[in-house]
Amino acid sequence: MAAPRTAVTGIASFLGARVLRRLVEQDGAGSVVALDVAAPPAGLGVAHRAIDLTLPASDQQVLDALREEGISRLAHCAFFTSPRRDSTYAHELESIGTLNVLAAAAAAGVSHVLLRSFTAVYGARGQNPNFLTEDRPLQPNPGLSWVRDKLEAEQHAASFARRYPDLTITVLRFAPLLGPDVHNFYTRLLDHRVVPTVLGYDPLVQMLHPEDALTAFAAALEKAPKGAFNVVPKRPITLGTALHTAAKVPLPVPHPLAYPLVDLLWAAGLADAPGAFVDYARYLFVADGEKARRELGWSARHSSRDALISYLRYRHAEPQLWPARASA
Amino acid sequence: MTRPKVVPIDGGRFPDEDDAALRERLQDLEAEVERLRGADTGEGGHERRSEGLLVALARVLHGGRRAFTWERVARLWAELYFAWHAEDPDDFGYDPVFTRTFMPFVEFLYSVWWRVETEGIGHVPASGPALVVSNHSGVLPWDGAMINLAIRHEHPARRECRMLALDMFALMPFLAPLVAKTGGVRANQENGERLLRRGDLVAVFPEGVKGIGKPYKRRYKLARFGRGGFVRLALRTQAPIVPCAVVGAEEIHPMLANLSWLGKPLGVPYLPVTPTFPVLGPLGLVPLPTKWWLDFGDPIPVSEYGPQGAEDPILVNRLTQEVRATIQRMLDARLARRRSIWFG
Repeated sequence: MAAPRTAVTGIASFLGARVLRRLVEQDGAGSVVALDVAAPPAGLGVAHRAIDLTLPASDQQVLDALREEGISRLAHCAFFTSPRRDSTYAHELESIGTLNVLAAAAAAGVSHVLLRSFTAVYGARGQNPNFLTEDRPLQPNPGLSWVRDKLEAEQHAASFARRYPDLTITVLRFAPLLGPDVHNFYTRLLDHRVVPTVLGYDPLVQMLHPEDALTAFAAALEKAPKGAFNVVPKRPITLGTALHTAAKVPLPVPHPLAYPLVDLLWAAGLADAPGAFVDYARYLFVADGEKARRELGWSARHSSRDALISYLRYRHAEPQLWPARASA
Repeated sequence: MTRPKVVPIDGGRFPDEDDAALRERLQDLEAEVERLRGADTGEGGHERRSEGLLVALARVLHGGRRAFTWERVARLWAELYFAWHAEDPDDFGYDPVFTRTFMPFVEFLYSVWWRVETEGIGHVPASGPALVVSNHSGVLPWDGAMINLAIRHEHPARRECRMLALDMFALMPFLAPLVAKTGGVRANQENGERLLRRGDLVAVFPEGVKGIGKPYKRRYKLARFGRGGFVRLALRTQAPIVPCAVVGAEEIHPMLANLSWLGKPLGVPYLPVTPTFPVLGPLGLVPLPTKWWLDFGDPIPVSEYGPQGAEDPILVNRLTQEVRATIQRMLDARLARRRSIWFG
């Protein structure tokens, strides 16, 4: 039996690019199609359909592409891993773009759609249990369009899953990635010498090693289960421990001050995220990986600390991290 | 690395067998060097000992202004942090090194200040999940720390006991990380279930805020036991309930009045007035040296009801009242035997 033909969106994103490469290695370049405004690396020899998902007629374009290429699986990775200043564009791409992709996939009779999502959609809250399971209602922090758009994408996915029982939709909620070659919000924070924290709070955070993210993606493509799955590292780490492992000087800011201050810096173009993001440095949003282990047969090989150390090793030729702590 | 050259002394070659032995020895030495080097750079699974706080400090001070680089400061900062923190806390953020740092102080309170005595500690199972249910009192949650220490030091299995902490402690700034690092977990069904399912010993205080913020005149009268959440927890995980009565903690901060109207805006559900607080300022935080008993009762098995019992509100309520009555009985029995608050 020939390998199923797979379309990948968001191939310029960290995860999308790697998923594409992995599919090419696994199934051959002939069975992979890139749907993106950006062209895939020429050396890969992958078919490319230049489609801008933010355009009003893009659902028809995607539908045509899916039909003409005979696609049976679709990996939707067109999401921003860091907050964007241009929130309108982000909303068009993430929320509306997902709607377009899902509509086209349903119309084209694609059998499996895999949606890349984020554990951040649970929202960081004081009331959260230490480990969030997939059945937890998604309540992202208000005022954070970055997460709201992801939530809307998930809501579209849930409604399509209800309306089209033949369409298998898998949602993978990845913990924040950290490791070699990763460039996102978290790595930009770690590149500062002094990292602001919230005074009196030290939540547990999760950092997922990219290798684990890829193996989870592969497992989900293979098993094609329905529903949402958390993809999380073996173990969380407290924010303070992480920052000290990276030999950063934490700068605690009282939380009533932190929100307006970060908002101000964000408006001035100096901060990496808007003020509402402070919640994620204050409260828990640690997800539980038990369901993925049970139903996907996948579990992470790396802990959050491993991911952090692998990033620091990659980032600094002479890792200026705490030397004795370097051994993973 | 370059191989040391063997220079023949007598102009000829070594006999073959000697040569082989030397080679072998050389290889051994090289392997040893590699091993040590690997340990030095932290590779090969060897954890190099850190320089230590003093050396890092000395480096910064000795180097003068030039040595005062970001890197050195950050390293010093990290040294300072890891001197009393673990490098990899557990799933719930429990930090054994941090806890050990505070242990001498808590031990002092246990053995000298409150002269804690335990009875029936053998009722706590030596292995497997169990739910220790206790009365809650004393304005500050010292009773939890004492139960933890009692089980850690006096129980033959030296078990660790995880506290399910009230929201007011688990969510308050500064207190929240402290609670998590010393093994506390925010009290809710999910957390409790996860701990019990992995076989941990868990302690709960179902009275909650109503218990710990009790006025002095209501001492040793158990408040309502929540909504039976702890019974549902025990039923779901089929963990036995071990009742525990703490006597002595009610008098450490006798609460004469409650300025809750002032506490609310400050984010605390009660603001006590005790004979020493707030009159003596921070000195008022020193608890009074009463005499304490921790009595552990016979475990109450819940296996006969099965996990589905958790869905039966009548059963849950009945069991809740049963546990509450048991603890009240244990308290009354101990109080009847007690002659002095201070000396027992």
